[in-house]
Parts: sequence; structure tokens; C-alpha cells
Amino acid sequence: MIHLKNVEKVYRTSSIETLALSNINLHIQKKEFVSIMGPSGCGKSTLLNIMGLLDAPSQGTMELDGNPVNNFQDKALARLRNEKLGFIFQSFHLINDLSVLDNVEIPLLYRRSSARERRLLAQQALEKVGLSNRMSHFPRQLSGGQKQRVAIARAIVGRPEIILADEPTGNLDSAMGNEILSILQQLNSEGATIVMVTHDEAMAKRTHRLVRLFDGSQVL
Amino acid sequence: MIRHLFKLIWNKKGAHSLLIIEIWASFMVLFGVLSLIIYNFTNYLQPIGFSYDRVWVVDLSNNQDTVGVAAKNQRIFDMISAYTEVESASRMSNNTPFSANQMNNNVTYNKISAVPDMYETDDNLYETLDLKLLAGRWYRKEDQVSKFRPVVLNKVLAEKFFQDENPLGKILSKEDKKPFKVVGIVDTFKAKGEFMSNAPAIFVQNESMSDWVQPILIRTRPGTDATFEARLVKDIAALAPGWGIEVSYMTESRQNRHKLTLIPVIIFLIISGFLLTNVALGLFGILNLNISRRRSEIGLRRAMGATGWNVTLQILGEMWTLSLFSILIGLLFAVQFPLLHVFDLAAGVYLWAMVAALLTIFVIVTLCAWYPGQQAARIHPATALHEE
Repeated sequence: MIHLKNVEKVYRTSSIETLALSNINLHIQKKEFVSIMGPSGCGKSTLLNIMGLLDAPSQGTMELDGNPVNNFQDKALARLRNEKLGFIFQSFHLINDLSVLDNVEIPLLYRRSSARERRLLAQQALEKVGLSNRMSHFPRQLSGGQKQRVAIARAIVGRPEIILADEPTGNLDSAMGNEILSILQQLNSEGATIVMVTHDEAMAKRTHRLVRLFDGSQVL
Repeated sequence: MIRHLFKLIWNKKGAHSLLIIEIWASFMVLFGVLSLIIYNFTNYLQPIGFSYDRVWVVDLSNNQDTVGVAAKNQRIFDMISAYTEVESASRMSNNTPFSANQMNNNVTYNKISAVPDMYETDDNLYETLDLKLLAGRWYRKEDQVSKFRPVVLNKVLAEKFFQDENPLGKILSKEDKKPFKVVGIVDTFKAKGEFMSNAPAIFVQNESMSDWVQPILIRTRPGTDATFEARLVKDIAALAPGWGIEVSYMTESRQNRHKLTLIPVIIFLIISGFLLTNVALGLFGILNLNISRRRSEIGLRRAMGATGWNVTLQILGEMWTLSLFSILIGLLFAVQFPLLHVFDLAAGVYLWAMVAALLTIFVIVTLCAWYPGQQAARIHPATALHEE
């Protein structure tokens, strides 16, 4: 499903060159639940960004469903992100001026769907994460765990095949973290491919496969 | 997407209130200035109704001389009429074209009242000013013995009184004085120049023009120059020693009149230009700040599938929505002008001004939001999402 071949990522400024990823080869199968672990600054988020088409590798190729996406234009990449990928972030990234329901609808704004359809899908996604009673609330009225569940609902509302989660339990206590992981496991059992960056060994062990990174390289 | 934008703006209405007030104020100022411009422009498009080229106005003043004023007046007029350089000469009340003087009076027909500009003239004005007669005739010497005073109306006044009826021969009453009889209809007569509205006007025959010192209008022959003017002044001075004589060219008076109209418009334009520049700069600054504060949201939208153009459109859309809120408030005020007939301008002037102000605001807002929108589109999503 996701295939990274000899991926390298270098960040360059006028004076400094930082190697963030080096020679990454990774193949993620459909319906797999993979966790990525490593110390801070080892390149986990960079790797997730490349898989999420938010960043491009400096070298190597990234394939999605067998298609190399390195040379895709902005419009094609945006479409792939919208239709195939769902994102969950550590800091939730909810828009505080929009209600829970409106936040969940955001990915659907960038595809052809009617307001009624958007509303229905967003309601279904919120029901799935157990937040159907908080639809008209605003993010500031929610707890951390609830915010992350809203973010999960937003990630799944467009029925993507792949969910990329960047430390989804990082800002939550262990009980909430477990709850979020259970939701992700449930989504995986329903067919979603999940790639999760985590610091938590226990969480990582609950996934199908663990990929370790150190100083931008894969630890084999 | 439109609903989404409305919600986003509505939920942040408190934070946007100052911006809404700024855009509202700009709309109102623009509406005012544009109403003035459109009013003057629509007036300008209508013909002035007379010819002013080669027409001079001789203003006389008898000062302390009270002896034989009527006779001197008549002699001066006869002398002027006799010059070979003069095509036509005419006497009229002090409200000559392009002058600052105005005279009006109440006239009634069949319980319809009007207060038209009134011009008391002799029988030659039609020729001197080359007026455009639409129906009937200009009054002549024989009319002086009629039991009615002959009058010529302009088209606007005729339509007000008679609608589809034939106005010729109709009798108008004027308080307790000798009633008027309509003998002719002229097209437009905009005595204060092209920028004047086509207001109702009535020309009344005055059979005793010599009794009072009145301005004399002279249509000169082509090629007549200042030498004749000097001779004219000298000859009048010889006929009426001690009298004040002032000759002005109507073309110059017209230009002065234009300046009187255009200078306030230009002043208002400059003021509103400054205001709009300030608003534009303010908007630009606010949007730039806004975008730097919303980097993570922009990153998020990119991650959710927004293209760079979608992001630009989002910024533009938000500004358009905000402007729409402001303009809707502005329109609530603006529509009162035609509804309450403020300044008695035609409703069309206000409607066009509303449309033009609305478009101008949208153009300014779009120009101000375009560059920040483009900057927002260039925000790297991975970096923006990582910043929080």
C-alpha cells in the first residue's frame, strides 16, 4: 500500500544541512497497523509527513498503491491526501471557532459533496467515536481525550484507506491514551491501514509491527 | 464551502467587529461620493439645451443714475443690436446662464403645483441662445396685447403638468397675477451648466424689459474678438456715463461653474481616497498578521486535502464574506436615501452608487487579500503543523 524506497530527507538552510532521514525502505501492507518509534528528533514525524504527502523526499521514491507520487503536482497530491489519507495529530489541530461537527466536516469541504451529505457523514463519524452528544460543542469545551476523538472522527469522515497518527496519545493520560488506541484498533479491524508514531512502547506493542528509527535511519 | 465561510466569520464576529466597522464606514463614504459623482455624471449626459459659444453677457448697473434709465436702457440695447458683429441680442432677468442667481415661483395647473426656475426674457432669447423648440413657438411682440402672459415651458415641466395632453394653449395660474398661457415647449434648459439636473423651467415674456437695468445677452458673429469688446464698453459708457459695465464670456462663466461643481467632488474623492488607502493598508496588515497566526490551521487544511488555490480562495472568501456582512449593514442605511427621497435625487442615482460602492469595496478587499492569500498558499503544511 505504502512503499518507500531508499528515502532520504535533507533539510538545507544557507549554512546548515541536516540529514533527517537516510536510506529508509519500508513497505506497509493494506490493513496493517504499524507503529514507528524512536527518540525525539530521530525523524519519525518527517517519515510520517512523507508518507502523508505533506513533504517530499530529497531522494528515493514513495509509492502509494504502486504509483510513484514524487512528481505529482499540488492538485493531485491534495486529492490523494483528501481521499486516501486521514491524519491525527498529537496537538489535535482543531479549529476553535468551529463546532465539533463543523471541524469534522472539514475534509469533505474539499471534495464534491452536498451539505446534507457532509452533515450525515460527520454525524456518523462522531457517533463512531462516541461523541454524538457533543456535536454542537466547541473544542474549548472538550477534554483532551474528547478533542482527540474529534480529530479521529475528522480523520475517518472521508473514509480514507490509510490513517496516519502522529503521537495521538502524546497529550493524553494513560486511560485516555488506551481509549484512543482502542478506537484505532477498532478502525484497523474494520479495514483501515494505520501508521502511528509513538513514544510509548506499550502502545507500540499493541500494533502489528514496530519500525524503529534512530538518527534518521531505520533500526533493523 | 460558502456556509463554512459564513460560520467561520459569524463565530469570530467579535474579533472581526473593528474590521466590519471599517469596511462599513468605507462603504458609506464611497456610497456618498459615488452618489455625487453619478448624479453629476448623469446630469452631464443630458444636453444643456442651449448654445453658449460666442455669447457674451453685458451686465449693466446704473449706480446712482436714476434719470431716464428706461430710455438709456433702450438706447444701449438698440445700439448693441445694430452692431454688425452682433448676430442677436436679448435681455433677460438676472438669472442668466451660468450665473449664481436663481429665481423661481409657484405655478399651478389643475391643482398640480410646481416651483420651476423662472426666466423673464424678451422675444429674442430663443435666437440668442439657440434654444431647441420641441413644439409651438417662442413668444413675440403681438403676445403683449394678449390677456395672458405667454410662456414657454421646458419638457420636464410640461410633462409634470400635462402628462400626455397637448400643453399648447393651456392656461397656468400664478397666484393672483396675470395667468400664463403656454405657447411653446423647449427641450432641456440647464442654465447652471451641464452638471445641473434637468429641472423644470419656465420662460416668461417680459414686455417692460427697458424699465429695469437687465443683463444683455449678445451672440457675436464668428471671429469677433476683444477689440469689439473694448469698443462696446466705450460706446455704452458714452451713452450712459457713470454706469457700471461688465462683459463676460459665457464659455468662461461655464468653466467657472464647472469648477464650482467639480471642486467639492474632487475634495471628497481625495478624502475618500485617503480613507480607502488607510483601510486597504489596515486590511493588508491584519490579513498578514492573521495568516501568521493561523499557520497551523492552514497546514491542517492542506493536510485535509486543500490545494494551494483552495487556501488562497479561503482567505479571499473570508474577506468577501466579511465585506458582505459590512455591506449588508451599510445597505440598510443606504436604502433609506432613495426611500426617504433624501436630497431629492432620483432613486437610480442611489442604486447605481450602491452597486458601484459594493464593487469598489470588493475590488479593494480582493486586492488586499490576494497577496496574503498567495502567501498562505505557500505555507509548507508539514512545517506549519509541526509549529504548534
